[in-house]
Amino acid sequence: MSRPNTATPLERRYAMLGVILIAPTILVFCAVIVYPLFSAIYLSLFQIFTPTLQGSFVGLENYQRLFQRSEFWISLRNTLVWTIGTLTLQILLGVAMALVLHQNLWFRSLARSLILFPYFVSTVVAVLVWRWLFNDLYGILNHLMISVGLIDWPLDFLGSSPNAMISVILVGAWKYFPFVVIAVLARLQTIPEPLYEAAKIDGAGPIARFFDITLPQLREVLVVIILLRAIWDFKEFDLIFLLTGGGPLITTQTLPLLVYKEAFALNQMGMASAYAVVMMAIMLVFMVVYVLKTRNKDESR
Amino acid sequence: MKYSQMTRRATLQALMAGAAVGALPGKVFAQTVNLRWWSPQGSPEQLAAYAYQIEAFHALHPDIRVTFEMTSDEGYAPQLAAAFSSGQVPDIVTHLPSFAVQSYYANGLIEPFDDVIAAIGADDFYPGANDVFRAADGQYCGTGIGNSAANMLWMRRDLMEQANIDKIPETWDELRTACAAMQTRGTFGAPLPFGRNTMTSLIFTGFIHGAGGHVFTPDLEVDIDNDGTRAALEFYREMREFCPPGATNYSWGESLTAFVSGATATGIYTGRVLVNAVLQNPAIAEHITCATYPRLSTDIAPWTFNDFPSVFIPAQSRNKDAAKLFAAFLFDPEGYIRQLHAAPGHVLPVLQSINNDPRYQDNDIIRAYSDEVELMAQAAAGGFNLGYESAEHQSNEKAGEVINAGPIADLVQRVVLNGDNVDAALSDTSRAIAEIVSG
Repeated sequence: MSRPNTATPLERRYAMLGVILIAPTILVFCAVIVYPLFSAIYLSLFQIFTPTLQGSFVGLENYQRLFQRSEFWISLRNTLVWTIGTLTLQILLGVAMALVLHQNLWFRSLARSLILFPYFVSTVVAVLVWRWLFNDLYGILNHLMISVGLIDWPLDFLGSSPNAMISVILVGAWKYFPFVVIAVLARLQTIPEPLYEAAKIDGAGPIARFFDITLPQLREVLVVIILLRAIWDFKEFDLIFLLTGGGPLITTQTLPLLVYKEAFALNQMGMASAYAVVMMAIMLVFMVVYVLKTRNKDESR
Repeated sequence: MKYSQMTRRATLQALMAGAAVGALPGKVFAQTVNLRWWSPQGSPEQLAAYAYQIEAFHALHPDIRVTFEMTSDEGYAPQLAAAFSSGQVPDIVTHLPSFAVQSYYANGLIEPFDDVIAAIGADDFYPGANDVFRAADGQYCGTGIGNSAANMLWMRRDLMEQANIDKIPETWDELRTACAAMQTRGTFGAPLPFGRNTMTSLIFTGFIHGAGGHVFTPDLEVDIDNDGTRAALEFYREMREFCPPGATNYSWGESLTAFVSGATATGIYTGRVLVNAVLQNPAIAEHITCATYPRLSTDIAPWTFNDFPSVFIPAQSRNKDAAKLFAAFLFDPEGYIRQLHAAPGHVLPVLQSINNDPRYQDNDIIRAYSDEVELMAQAAAGGFNLGYESAEHQSNEKAGEVINAGPIADLVQRVVLNGDNVDAALSDTSRAIAEIVSG
């Protein structure tokens, strides 16, 4: 049974005004989120030659082939290794650096500014610098290690396994840990000082104060950082592509690189879209956790 | 308040008037044609030569403006794929390998080039120079803007002398022996590429042919699993110990730099080595020379990799006539010679009249290395690539995708770096190439 329409003309006009006001947002949302999303799903049902965008309907065949390919599973494993490896380092480095920069150091302001440098520098520039550092013939890292007798022969940082994945993870951690520093530092500054004073009176040392006060206070912000960075690292493309191109073999080929290879090296846009849709589904898990976490937080308030 | 004088209605009227005025210049300047020119070749000297050609062309055709945009050997495929699919194509593209052009033409993405070749002068090209650009329909999909001999063996006579090597290696055994003799602490034997990139695929294809093998049969059946490929894999594996550790990630730039800097005793590259050595490392410049790359035995003819740097015009260009004018103008002697002199020996002339032109020969590097340049010109003229493996082979329009997808580079990495079983790796590679070919 429908409810009788009891709204006054003025209320109806306000309701209409509301729709009109929100319409631009909805339109932009549809244009930049909904359309590409459905377009990717639609394309994944076709076999399409990228340059001409001509193709034929193949239904779910792309997905069937995708799950049968070992390259997909290897790339997924690489993506997880990269994401977990670089994220762990980012968090450890970021929290440690934030704790240092929270102290009363005389160069604190300068250090806080400089620490952001890796995050702000262009990925292309960062990769060029690191490739130069890693170079087997002229790289400073090999030169230093040979000079101090750590190694007799230049180390192949980017062309052999597992060195390549380790190098990529290290560069990723260097590039993105400042984001963790910023977020953690902001939260550290809001932890009430009396908590530490009370702990000191109770005889708690620095380590006990970190684990009993600082870490619990940081937990919420760390959850958000981990989820956001996990999403961003999962879909990282440029840094890995420019450093190793996914090699040697496919030992550093992550899912975004596989999508790129399908779309532009093999010119199979339909298959590339299928990979992208699967990636999106995996990332959806992170998104759901993120939404649940932030909603729980809002509700608890 | 002062700003209240601007009412909403007045603002809207002003905006509409602005939009109307903004629409006018489109008609007013519709006479001017803007051409976009893409190329992966863009050293500073080449850019200067292009700028000269653009200005000279503009002086002849004031209504046509040309803008040069650089792409890269590793990046042109995705950039062009995106350009074709979006319809935002360059009007003219130069220096891409012939097999890429054939692939685009087969998919209807390129304008036939016969009239441009006629405008340049078909008889002026070296005999057979345009065969590699003849498409299945009998028309030409592009033409060569130059030739290149990309897998020349570069040697340093000073190091050969020190190592008591009296002749340039002609066979793999001789090359291996020479590399072993010349390798010292700080100098490696060779900068062969083992990276997961197009250079490894292209260079290793040369090694397959250097052992009498092939990737495709003449009628384009996948046949990479042959004795030649196995011999090439074995030799490539043996050469690993003479290459720098980082060669596992080498592409064209790193390989070139390794030889020119003196980090390796031999090199594998085009004639760009000459200008780079002269400018960047004069100490070795007077000692360098080149030869066709060694092969399994002297019974096998040298197989020179020529990517046949091309000129073509995308079919979606809105300025085809102007693009064709400019394409033909690129071969005008004054500008063309400047372009060739920008990297002497790297891009070699395709027109006989240019090669015989005293202005072309009047170059310090071409004079100083006349034997090497002549050898490269001959080797390139009889050269091949994956799209044109031999004179008996049909044109392979899938070669570009095979190179870009990298199954041949993967094969090298699996067998040489990973120590995988050759049978299994070759079987997988055959399957991967067959999948690419079947689409």
